[in-house]
Amino acid sequence: MKEKSDLHIVEYSVLLTLAFIISLLFYYFRYNHGVLIFLSGVSSFAYILWGLIHHALEGRLTKFIATEYVVFGVLIFLLLYTVLNF
Amino acid sequence: MSVLTGKKKSNIIKDWRQQPKSIEKFQFIHHFLPHPEEKTRATLLSNRAIIVYCAAMLLIAGIFRFLPKVVPGVLGYASDISVKDLLTYTNAKRKESGLSELRLNSALTSAAYQKAEDMFKDQYWAHISPDGTEPWDFILGQNYDYIYAGENLAKNFKSSKDVVEAWMKSPSHKENLLSSNYDEIGFAVVNGVMEGYETTLVVQFFGRPRNAAQVASVYEEQTVLEKESTRTAAVSEREKEPATEGTSEAVQKPVYTQAPSEKPAIDVTTATKTVSAVFGGFVGTLLALDVWYSRRKGLHKFTGHTVAHLGILILVVASIWFVLAPGIVL
Repeated sequence: MKEKSDLHIVEYSVLLTLAFIISLLFYYFRYNHGVLIFLSGVSSFAYILWGLIHHALEGRLTKFIATEYVVFGVLIFLLLYTVLNF
Repeated sequence: MSVLTGKKKSNIIKDWRQQPKSIEKFQFIHHFLPHPEEKTRATLLSNRAIIVYCAAMLLIAGIFRFLPKVVPGVLGYASDISVKDLLTYTNAKRKESGLSELRLNSALTSAAYQKAEDMFKDQYWAHISPDGTEPWDFILGQNYDYIYAGENLAKNFKSSKDVVEAWMKSPSHKENLLSSNYDEIGFAVVNGVMEGYETTLVVQFFGRPRNAAQVASVYEEQTVLEKESTRTAAVSEREKEPATEGTSEAVQKPVYTQAPSEKPAIDVTTATKTVSAVFGGFVGTLLALDVWYSRRKGLHKFTGHTVAHLGILILVVASIWFVLAPGIVL
């Protein structure tokens, strides 16, 4: 039980670190839309990958959950892309 | 978790059959709240629903791209940029770096206006025009004999400060802005329709005259600024009253607009930000409801991590609203 909780902490720390780094990069390149679109793609892909690895390690990765992370990743990308494209 | 006995369960089903409205209420509420029996999220958070939101976002982005082709000038970028502010912010950046301030030169200003008008006329966004005209041709066309010259361009920005900040963030533009090779500067801030969008183009020309004695004096700079302010006032007046008779010399100065230089009916930046924030906010609210309801009822669903989705979505909506700014530099 403790091992599972430790794994959770590590995995969420990875997600938080990724989110922090990407936020800093977003702020730094805030006037360069080309870089921001690229960063949006990378962020969405990283989130999908995090979700898949996280659930695979937990042993409960199903087709439904994999689809869920993919559609959420795509939604996140589209939310950013709609603003950055103009 | 409570387990219903066969008798109790059949009573509940019997009650529901007698009250179809409560079934409808139960079904409706689970559009927004998790399903305890199916152990899934609210219907409006299902994978299918998210795919529908993605399709809607794509459709809206498509409309924003297509609309200017059908009705030019309806969508655009509202801006509040002035030559005076651009000069102030540019010189402030130079001062911070220990460099001398640049003087506003009338020939460079006229050249910048010609360049901006040319971009609107031929619908291009580049340092070199489709017919091969280079920035230096505009400068030499104003009989400005230079040793060094440079050009920075910007479009779709909201404020003068944003324009200068964006140039400072780009190494090649920063190099121009903070170069000790220049003594003088010229700006053009021109409204017009580019690729169907109402926008503001900013052209910044730098130069060092071959004859050092020709560098603009404070008096000359003041004259250019006054002319600029008269021109801006005249253009605003013309926008208010398109049929005004006896146009002044200032209005006849080169302010090129393919369409009336009015503020766009829809500010594309505000519109796209609002659409993204509304979709993101809606999904985020449903996710927050999911977390609250699931904890309250002790539900364990066969889904991904709602808290992770919610956290990422909050970060994205905050970035869209507070970090992302319109504008492109070249």
